Amino acid sequence: MAPRPCAVLGIGQTKYKRRRDDLTLDGLVREAVLRALEDAGAAFDDIDAIVIGKAPDALEGVMMPLLSLADALGAVGKPIHRVHTAGSVGASTAISAVNLVESGMYDTVLTVAYEKQSEGNATWALSGGKSGGQGAGGTFAPWIRNYIARSKAPEHIGWMVAVKDRLNALKNEYAHLHLPDISIEKVRESPMLWDPLHFLESCPSSDGAAAMVLGNDDVAKKSGRPPAWVISHAKRTEFGQFPGRDTVRPQAGVECSEALYRKAGITNPREQIDCAELYVPFSWYEPMWLEGHLIAEEGEGWKMTDSGDTELGGSFPVNMSGGVLSSNPIGASGMIRCLEAASQVRGTAGEYQVPGAKISIGHAYGGAAQYYAMWMVSSELNPEL
Amino acid sequence: MPQLHDVDYTLEYPYTRTTGPVIGPFLTGLRDGRILGQRCGDRVLCPPMEFDPDTSATLEPDLVEVGPGGEVVNWTWVAEPSAKHPFDRPFGFTFIKLDGADTALVHAVDTGGDPEAMSTGMRVRAQFATERHGSIADVYFVPEADAGDQVIEPGDEPVAITEHLIGLRINEPLYPHRARFAQGLLDGKIIGQRSPVTGKVYVPGRGYDNMSRVLMSEADEVVVSDVGTVVAFTELNPVQYYGQTETEPYVRCSILFDGTDQPVIGIDIRDMTVDEMRVGMRMRCIWRDPEERSVEDIDNRYGNIPEAVYARFEPTGEPDLPADDLKEHSW
Repeated sequence: MAPRPCAVLGIGQTKYKRRRDDLTLDGLVREAVLRALEDAGAAFDDIDAIVIGKAPDALEGVMMPLLSLADALGAVGKPIHRVHTAGSVGASTAISAVNLVESGMYDTVLTVAYEKQSEGNATWALSGGKSGGQGAGGTFAPWIRNYIARSKAPEHIGWMVAVKDRLNALKNEYAHLHLPDISIEKVRESPMLWDPLHFLESCPSSDGAAAMVLGNDDVAKKSGRPPAWVISHAKRTEFGQFPGRDTVRPQAGVECSEALYRKAGITNPREQIDCAELYVPFSWYEPMWLEGHLIAEEGEGWKMTDSGDTELGGSFPVNMSGGVLSSNPIGASGMIRCLEAASQVRGTAGEYQVPGAKISIGHAYGGAAQYYAMWMVSSELNPEL
Repeated sequence: MPQLHDVDYTLEYPYTRTTGPVIGPFLTGLRDGRILGQRCGDRVLCPPMEFDPDTSATLEPDLVEVGPGGEVVNWTWVAEPSAKHPFDRPFGFTFIKLDGADTALVHAVDTGGDPEAMSTGMRVRAQFATERHGSIADVYFVPEADAGDQVIEPGDEPVAITEHLIGLRINEPLYPHRARFAQGLLDGKIIGQRSPVTGKVYVPGRGYDNMSRVLMSEADEVVVSDVGTVVAFTELNPVQYYGQTETEPYVRCSILFDGTDQPVIGIDIRDMTVDEMRVGMRMRCIWRDPEERSVEDIDNRYGNIPEAVYARFEPTGEPDLPADDLKEHSW
């Protein structure tokens, strides 16, 4: 039986900030949920099931938050599911919600992801609570060094991504970082955190939540809201360490994108996809994922950045919203990528809208670059490629 | 089987909580000697809630004083209190419906350690701690007859952010393969596990080959060379967090030891700068004197080759291996 078509019918985001000191964790999640419901023209009564995701519990020290959040989410008396895939969880959560609609099990599903980073410390949590932790930046920096050595990319590529994403963020009212005077010089001269990554090439630590209302084709028709049809999605996993692992170009990432494109009939992603929201928490991951997800040939991704192709207005815009480099409520960051991709094809991205965007992708990776989740959305259920 | 240390450490962090528009006034009230409930339709909820528990509607902050007396509607007895409990003697954990409230608060009742003094339907009364911080532990309950009058001085600022040292003590023996690996380091040897299926050598071994999905045991263990090749590195500028003791930048690298198939990650280099490091560089472990070696930092999840067993890694002076040959070991 063919899967039921599934569309994004409502999206909601909080303002991302270093610390949302005006809201409890419950209130924060709720803010995004109410905005998604409003955008979808829906109420809690219309929701059949809820799928929630966040990064590991150690980030805030709240165990099984899906239980205590039931009131805030309108989940009392309804099925609620939680997804765990480390940093990719926001995108995995969205895709798990799509599965529930496509299967025909539920008509309308609310999906939400969040992090309130200010209540704990991510580097502490990722270090097992011990001194000498290297955190995410220290884990990825050696792989980035190896990418640079392998691709012979010039060092300014990372700085360019850091500037581009922060300039994009100026057009996004929800973005955490608004740095109007960002420049290549400022990035280059900011402190070196994990060689070769400077402070300004790294994501911030944010509080925030993101939510979407997903519905099947009947619900989409009734809602009258502009739909973003989820025309393809894929998840892949590999071990964090094994003999033969290529951490610069992980096999699971390659296979995840192959599966994503195959299902949608995409044969030339760079030409057939209009724009992408990729999970880029550290500047160099833009060219690494352009290659690792087959948008650029191996060794060629940095040239897309260098030539301006990935800028808003370029031939393949990446992270029009400002990306993870501008807002990073970890558990939500992957969902924000999916939601921003949907916003583009719904034509609701405002100042950072890619004109006429018809097909877009949202992406996230997690753990030691070992979990991948990607979705492709379109303004049409069966778009001409 | 070597007898090594048991793992025993507490994973803990001083988490903070933003209290928000309803819980904030509740905690401020406790600090100031008052218990507040939240109006919800014609009911009063205590503890207060931000959202209607039945309809999920947003509740505008509307707090009213309840208690200080109330009725125990259900209870259990804690015969052996832990260090985290509110009393160091046995006590009752109870549901208390405070006077003026329609829902019950979970809280502790102190009967001086006497379980016979507890009963469903008993009357209790709030007592406030001498030192109050805007926490649920600012208050406790006693049988009404035991309650004394208190004069509470209110505090100044509303309680907006609270701090909680939340932790988990991990106390367990080292897994046998971890214990053998650690003992090897004390003996100046790096022990790996050779997969009985593929022949690939893992360091440190996990007790199984994750690719072939077979167990590996002591019979699969081999002593590997302490000379290897740098496959990846960075220089860390340590992020400061609770429990972090590192303050100065240092190099961290991954080394593929000769005869192995998976690099050892997280090796700290203190006497070389990032500019002196190269992928492909050949390095040798210079061990500490045996009596100076320690494997205390090794537990079942973290710790590969800790600094407490080696004096330094030094370049062997051999020509570098080509980086292209190390692609598949790039961690």
